Amino acid sequence: MKKRRGVSYSKWGYIFILPFFISYILFSLIPQITTFYNAFFENYRNGLSQVGPNYVGFGNFIKLFTPAKNGSIDILRYFGNTMILWLLGAVPQVLVALLLAVFFTSFRLNLKGQQFFKTVIYMPNLIMASAFSMLFFTLFSPVGPVNQLLMSSGMLEKSFDFLGMMIPVRLLISLMNFLMWFGNTTILLMAGIQGIDQSMFEAAQIDGANSLQTFFRVTLPLLAPILVYTIITAMIGGLQMFDVPQVLTNGKGTPDRTSMTIVMYLNNYLQTSKNYGMAGAISVVLFIISAILSLVVYHTLSKPYKK
Amino acid sequence: MKKLFALVLAAMMALSMLSFAAAEEEGKVLNIYAWNEEFKGFFEKYYAVPEGITVNWIITPSDNGGYQQKLDEALLNQEAASADEKVDMFLAEADYIQKYVDADATQDIAALGVTDFSNAYEYTVKAASTADGVVKGVSFQCCPSALIYRRSIAKDVLGTDDPAEVQAALNSWEKFEAVAADAKAKGYYMTASFAETYRVFSNNCTSAWVDAEGNLQFDPQIEAWIAQTEKFIDNGYTLTAGIWDDEKNVQMFADGKTMCFFGPAWYFNFCMGNAQDPEKGCSGDWAITEGPAAHFWGGTWLLAPAGTDNPTIVGDIMNTFINNEEVCTKLVSAEAQFSNNKAVNAKFAENPDYGSAFLGGQNDVAVFSAMTDNIKWENHTIYDQLLNEGLQNNLQEYFKKNVDKDTAMSNFYKFVNETYPAIVTP
Repeated sequence: MKKRRGVSYSKWGYIFILPFFISYILFSLIPQITTFYNAFFENYRNGLSQVGPNYVGFGNFIKLFTPAKNGSIDILRYFGNTMILWLLGAVPQVLVALLLAVFFTSFRLNLKGQQFFKTVIYMPNLIMASAFSMLFFTLFSPVGPVNQLLMSSGMLEKSFDFLGMMIPVRLLISLMNFLMWFGNTTILLMAGIQGIDQSMFEAAQIDGANSLQTFFRVTLPLLAPILVYTIITAMIGGLQMFDVPQVLTNGKGTPDRTSMTIVMYLNNYLQTSKNYGMAGAISVVLFIISAILSLVVYHTLSKPYKK
Repeated sequence: MKKLFALVLAAMMALSMLSFAAAEEEGKVLNIYAWNEEFKGFFEKYYAVPEGITVNWIITPSDNGGYQQKLDEALLNQEAASADEKVDMFLAEADYIQKYVDADATQDIAALGVTDFSNAYEYTVKAASTADGVVKGVSFQCCPSALIYRRSIAKDVLGTDDPAEVQAALNSWEKFEAVAADAKAKGYYMTASFAETYRVFSNNCTSAWVDAEGNLQFDPQIEAWIAQTEKFIDNGYTLTAGIWDDEKNVQMFADGKTMCFFGPAWYFNFCMGNAQDPEKGCSGDWAITEGPAAHFWGGTWLLAPAGTDNPTIVGDIMNTFINNEEVCTKLVSAEAQFSNNKAVNAKFAENPDYGSAFLGGQNDVAVFSAMTDNIKWENHTIYDQLLNEGLQNNLQEYFKKNVDKDTAMSNFYKFVNETYPAIVTP
């Protein structure tokens, strides 16, 4: 006779997580695998007629990494653009969010009207990125209100072409991303800080630590896991940056393609010619880059606090 | 029991006959694809939709080829779509009509009862015909494009605002450039957009954008446009705005400083809203003349996709907008269009009492009529819209002095490679 084991509830656990895995396989894993598959085919539309799919091996990847006449490799340039645009927005985003999170959770400060402030800083995230971007496009156009204001106040003589120059365009894109996301990051970090045992802060105070010391010696190390999570998700989001620069530059990445991100580049291939081969190859490269960067960030940021 | 059986049988027969009759009838839903509201407005005013038919407008702006993308998806899905979802009619512009005329997705409109093109202008029929002469669509407008100038500025610069004298002063590119210098000396701009004269050159190309082997090529006319624009920018004869930009459009207000615009009849209502503004505008201070070279710009064709379930009504719409005298007359008199009906246009052209208030009483129909003989429909490809747009967009950065010419051209080639993998760039 078999020995009777205790009742196992584990099957319920599996049943409860089943819906996630089914939707993950259907909507993420299968599309991802087909993207990898598509990357090895020539497959596009010419007018109303279809070309391919013809197997071309690594042909699409070779095309992607073939340098142009002036020696630059387009996809690396657009990767650089994407990182610059992301860093310009993400660094202030995390710093400001960290500061706000500490203020909001501090018992000493005990800010009044916290709910109001939290709502307000989260608000820009509720607006559609494309609408937000359209708003900036109109505000900063050569005949837009910003130029009119600057001219009527005598600060400018001629209208300034904000959207035709590299630095203003990049700063505007970063500013928009910052405005849209710092509220979200603040809320996440607040949750992280509130998860830290309050007695730690009390102990630090009793031991005579000032606020700066408390922040760097207590809050930051204990917040590290959440901070790393925030930075990695922000980075993955940043690498896929699309809607804000697409709408602001009307899909052209002006000037001179210096605000063209990798996903905008991908979209160029997909829009008219439905070039699944090249677009697939770019997606694969983007996937590999994201994976490597995430690993690097994870290891460098979480190591110092791992004992 | 037998009686009941007979009754059921009879009922079934009646039902099947009914459904047979329904199959013979045409669809109740008319789906029309378009990229703006222009034709929709005329359609709703001048076409009496038969009772019981619902008209659906599927409107997608054409920026960055958006309209073509939406339309292509629908046409490629035409067979699988249910009767009420099928595309029944769609609009196409001169820059990409070839793509649809050459494809099997459109049908010979003779089958829909549209066979009388005796009053239509020749190029509008040729544009919608395959190489074998099968006509697949009609245009409700004819679009010879004129030089539209500000009378008051012409008086100041040329000493006259009379169209014949202005034409004499501007009938070649050399003269056009000379007048631009005079205009600049008096504090005016000749044109408000770097691409204002693009169509005047591009319509007179002697070669297509792409040769038989799929190589991108630059016609001498396109090179001439680039050279002229360089000169205009360097000398400050033009602004660096794009042809659709607000920065250009504000120049049409009364306080604008720009003398010349180029456009066909549709341009007045579609693009010159600022000029017609009752407070800040300058209606009546305009006139038209042929300008340095004959050309046309745009034009909207109505095409019938294969597989429409409303062939009769689609044929009827097409006939109405090219052959119905009353409707064509209203298009001219009430909508400031230049219709695609020679007989109707001739009546306006010959009427000494007819004149456009916007153009200070000038008879625009007479001017446009005289220009129609010189319009050529040649050297078009299925890629024209995005190649024209792409060249202008990428060169704009060069004209704004943001990049050098080689970089701008290489960006244009990148754009071509991404958009049309089949085209070989230099």
